[in-house]
Amino acid sequence: MTRYLVRRLLGAVPLVLGIATIVFFVVNAAPGDPTQYLLAPGLRPEVVAQMRANFGLDQPIHIRYVKWMAALLSGDFGYSYSHSRPVLDVIGAALPNTLILSALALALAFAAGIVLGTIQAVRQHRPTDSVLSVILLFFYSMPSFWLALMLILTFSLYARNVWGWPIWFPASGVHSVHYAFLSLGGKLRDRALHLVLPTASLALVLAAGVARYMRASMLEVIRQDFIRTARAKGLSERAVVFRHALRNALIPAITLLGLYLPFLFSGTVFIETVFAWPGMGKTIIDAISARDYPVVMAGSFIFAVMVVAGNLVADVLYAVVDPRIRYD
Amino acid sequence: MTEWVPRSRVRTTLAVVLPGAPQLLSGRRASGGFALTVWVGLLALLASRADRVRAAFTGAADQRLAVLSLVVGLAASWVWSVLDTRRPQHVSEVGISQRTLTMRAFSRNRVAVAGLLAIGVFYLVALLTPLIAPYDPTAQGSLLAERLVGPSALHPLGTDRFARDVFSRLLYGARISLTIGFVAVAISVTIGTVLGAVSGYFGGIVDGVIMRFVDMVIAFPRLILLIAIIALFQPSIFLIIAVLGLTQWPATTRIVRGEVLSLREREFIEAAHALGYSRARIILRHLIPNSLAPIIVAATLGIGNTIVLEAGLSFLGLGVQPPTASWGTMVADGRDHLLGAWWVATFPGLAIVLTVLAFNLVGDGLRDALDPRMRT
Amino acid sequence: MRLNSRIATLFVAGGALVWAGCGGEGGAGGPAAGAEDFCRRVRVAVAAYMDSVEAANPVPDDERYGGTAVVGTIGELTDGMNALVSADYGSQQHQLFVNLMPLIVNDPETLDPLPYLAESWEVNDEETAITFHIRRDVHWHDGMPTDAHDVAFTYLTVTDPRTAFPNAAFWDYYVKGPEGVEVLDDYTVRIRMRPHAEFMDPWRTLAIMSEHLLADVPPEQLKQHPFGTQCPVGDGPFVFVEHRPNDRWVFRANPGFPPALGGRPYLDRYVYRIIPEQTTLLTELLTGGLDVYPAPRSDQAKAILDAPELELRHYPFRNYVFVGWNSRRPQLADRRVRKAMTMGTDRARIVKALLKGYGRVANGTLPPFHWAYEPDSLPQFPYDPDAARALLDDAGWIDRDGDGVRENEDGVRLEVSIKYNQGNQQRQDVAEIMQAQLARIGVEVHPQVVEWGTLLDQIMSPERRDFDGVVMAWVTEFNVDDRDLFDSHRIDQPYAWSGTRNPVLDHYLDTLQLIVDRDKARPVWLAYERALADEHPYTLFYFPDRLDGVNRRLKNVRMDVRGEWVDIKDWWIDPGQRRTR
Repeated sequence: MTRYLVRRLLGAVPLVLGIATIVFFVVNAAPGDPTQYLLAPGLRPEVVAQMRANFGLDQPIHIRYVKWMAALLSGDFGYSYSHSRPVLDVIGAALPNTLILSALALALAFAAGIVLGTIQAVRQHRPTDSVLSVILLFFYSMPSFWLALMLILTFSLYARNVWGWPIWFPASGVHSVHYAFLSLGGKLRDRALHLVLPTASLALVLAAGVARYMRASMLEVIRQDFIRTARAKGLSERAVVFRHALRNALIPAITLLGLYLPFLFSGTVFIETVFAWPGMGKTIIDAISARDYPVVMAGSFIFAVMVVAGNLVADVLYAVVDPRIRYD
Repeated sequence: MTEWVPRSRVRTTLAVVLPGAPQLLSGRRASGGFALTVWVGLLALLASRADRVRAAFTGAADQRLAVLSLVVGLAASWVWSVLDTRRPQHVSEVGISQRTLTMRAFSRNRVAVAGLLAIGVFYLVALLTPLIAPYDPTAQGSLLAERLVGPSALHPLGTDRFARDVFSRLLYGARISLTIGFVAVAISVTIGTVLGAVSGYFGGIVDGVIMRFVDMVIAFPRLILLIAIIALFQPSIFLIIAVLGLTQWPATTRIVRGEVLSLREREFIEAAHALGYSRARIILRHLIPNSLAPIIVAATLGIGNTIVLEAGLSFLGLGVQPPTASWGTMVADGRDHLLGAWWVATFPGLAIVLTVLAFNLVGDGLRDALDPRMRT
Repeated sequence: MRLNSRIATLFVAGGALVWAGCGGEGGAGGPAAGAEDFCRRVRVAVAAYMDSVEAANPVPDDERYGGTAVVGTIGELTDGMNALVSADYGSQQHQLFVNLMPLIVNDPETLDPLPYLAESWEVNDEETAITFHIRRDVHWHDGMPTDAHDVAFTYLTVTDPRTAFPNAAFWDYYVKGPEGVEVLDDYTVRIRMRPHAEFMDPWRTLAIMSEHLLADVPPEQLKQHPFGTQCPVGDGPFVFVEHRPNDRWVFRANPGFPPALGGRPYLDRYVYRIIPEQTTLLTELLTGGLDVYPAPRSDQAKAILDAPELELRHYPFRNYVFVGWNSRRPQLADRRVRKAMTMGTDRARIVKALLKGYGRVANGTLPPFHWAYEPDSLPQFPYDPDAARALLDDAGWIDRDGDGVRENEDGVRLEVSIKYNQGNQQRQDVAEIMQAQLARIGVEVHPQVVEWGTLLDQIMSPERRDFDGVVMAWVTEFNVDDRDLFDSHRIDQPYAWSGTRNPVLDHYLDTLQLIVDRDKARPVWLAYERALADEHPYTLFYFPDRLDGVNRRLKNVRMDVRGEWVDIKDWWIDPGQRRTR
């Protein structure tokens, strides 16, 4: 196992660097460059040329690549063209916001999904299963940004202005304008309120997917002989489900976790846009449009690192949980 | 033993005149109802749009395809109904095939059958769209009077901000979404299954290399690739299908690999080894078919996912480009008018939900039907 | 045993994850470290000085003082408060009116220059030098006085080519380099120039930057300097507090702002929020999360009008939307074809339908605020499909094969593509409407959406010019200069989209920039606009009104062509309607 792990880690390094290299050349190949954003009356070509020189863009691409790679390996991510601040600052400010949102949504989705899937499997052929199936399918089939807009309409705009509910949720931002002046309790409450709608938009759709998967997995496990044996032994249904069936049914769920990890970054893009959530997804998209190469590179690099590491974790968990799996 | 039971004359006549009716009467509601609906619906279409049908014979390619579908649809439902009525009723008790078993199990699942029928209707409607759609999807009405008008008699689902009929755009958008969904997933599932089975079965270096490749594709920031491609090339449906298909297969690979890893240790595979079967045969005829259930689940989830993903890309402006109507672009168009004209975004969104729902119902039903342990 | 080894592997995996995640940070030396030092020193100095000023100037006893105003828009202030490198509207407005100070501001009615940082100025008789007298009571927020050295430094840096100042063209007629500026004493500075029209206008657009903080920075590195977005130091009515990228900027009132200019602003705090989604912006305005929502979409206007606590400001602005025709293309080389395109499009209806009436049809390149704007004296090009068809017939484009699209005598079809950038709803609207309307006069139009960077590349690079028509908007300054667009001497430069070669236009364009006296210039402007209408390089669409949604609790807000933030230091909030604290 340890040998496998070390091998994977060693393999991960060229993998990540390879991805970063490909992204570098792909983005640089796209026409246009950061200076073309300043379409203003009288912007002279000489000025543009000077800007490019100031950015270091007048050098040939392979030299730029080498310089960038060298800087990357020593931890210097460079300066953002469109934000005029160090890339690390830009990403460092955006990353926690995305992580909070997506980690929370993932956790909620998995918790709810596992519970619902198990309930469905245990109550198969009864109305509970069918009803839950339909409801979950409905949410699963929804585009998350559309759900987000519906939620804003209902729980933010209408709730406050039309129906006059006592609790309504804010439509955007991480916290309110007057956040700095709140007490600690007030601050927590404010943050929580701002998290509700974005997390709900993400989690509802995800949970449905997890529940379906969990249901299928549980159903497979419940059919197996060892469950019959457990029941024959006289164990309570509860023990059968929780101690025996569930643990085995969780295996595909772990696969799912590994698959959803890249989602931690890209999946929140739509939600971030609708809720003005200052996170990674939006930062990278804006950077691409603005040809802000340093931010795009750094974002892709970090994304790749996280995903590779996440997959590794998933594989390890997989092996830990299922003793039948051996890695040669 | 087969027995040939003579059909009554009434039934045969009924089958000729009103396909689907005799099947309905004998209790086979799904197939009978479907055939009857198709027959009646297509006849109604022919009657109400006779002039368009006539024009379509000499029109553009997709118009001729629509007429062809109309004719084929009518013929198929008629022929099927007549033949089915005259078919012997009893079937041999000896040797029920795997396929029959599956189909029977599936047809017992009412929701799944409903989903399958819905998909059939969607694709049929997509083929017949040039005949059904009341307006041209890009035709703009009066910009002053007819923009953002709610559902009404003239426009059953309202108009968008260019005074274009939402219903017609919805129909044309169906073709795009359904095509993209199907083809992209076909590509990705094929690639994913083969790679996953090979990886899981062989293990070792092969597994390592393939999984490394999978890691790379998963870790690759898809959005960046998409944006760069849209910037570099002219965005087209082919390009989008290609990119979606070529970046979605890792999911299937992992699933299949997981299944194969478990199956690999089972006794029947050991038996196959002992019998000296070639590796290819083991993979193709034993491992993959037994992993079929998660593959199908993956495929149906995949189609739904792809349709939703395409909508999301259009939302960001990266998908199918306007003025082509795809459901995704319609939701994006309507997003800005949610507060004042909810119908522009709601109906395409509902269309997405219903279509994806149908695919998922079918996938679930198939999976349940294919699992031998669930047929008791 | 096995359990232990499993736990061990879990730990290793966890550690690997942490290591991989932390791999990128740390070890960041070089520019980042220098930036931190700079900002730390600056913040300490500002905090110390502001404390002392606060103590010396208590808040006056007037109920108008207090409260926080919040403005929300889509765009981030990319270069922040660094006026030496920035050009975008939002940043400029904040530099001029919030955090820094320009030498002059403009009169709300006449747009004539008024004293601001410059107390007074004189122009010599030959009109070759301006002598500015700087106010003595303005201080940078770290305590140093603002004086003539700052003005000289700003001027030198801006005219230095190494800085790559985006609006360098504004200073074309000024003498660059050390010969152009002379510091006579601490509060007097003389700038040299060649006589030209509207020579005071560039000073309106440039906020003066601090010499003592930035003089040591090499001009090429100014854009990356943390001063702009991390720790700006201004001398204006509001002091920088914090900036969270893509989230918000926070400023607070400067108690030491000169009483002669109004003294401490009424607002305690001002927050600029970045919200990338227009639906959300409207929601926030309607629910009270925002006080001002600049530039809502025209279809959002109704919601603002209907809300009793909000008001909709609208006023003519500085931009216009047009379709630029590439006359290098054979189908578009004949001006009759271009005129037919204009007359075949119902522009008046488009303004009514798309802008809900908040705008007016454009028939010339002078915007409504301009002193020489006389729309009725220009050819109107009304919607007249018959006249358009006649023009096309004249030009030899006739539908010879009955397919609804015209061809010329060689059989080439009259097909044009109209490109627009993705993400811009207005421009998409224009392209799609033209397609439908021009089809009726026998022109086949293909709208084509292109990603912004790619589109710029396609239209701007002289070798490519890969477009037939492009939907664009153009923002003018108060001094309108169309030379980059239509002067044939600049035909190989990026902005010569239309490829116009017209010696009459050239003549007007060159002379207009040199006529100082407005009365002499007026007839020349008219002649120029008429000649432009005849050459017809563009189909001009409309001058959209600038819209702003403002909460009525915000008082004393005046918005006009000078910008939304022009008198932010005079805004105050109804005491009964302030936010929590």
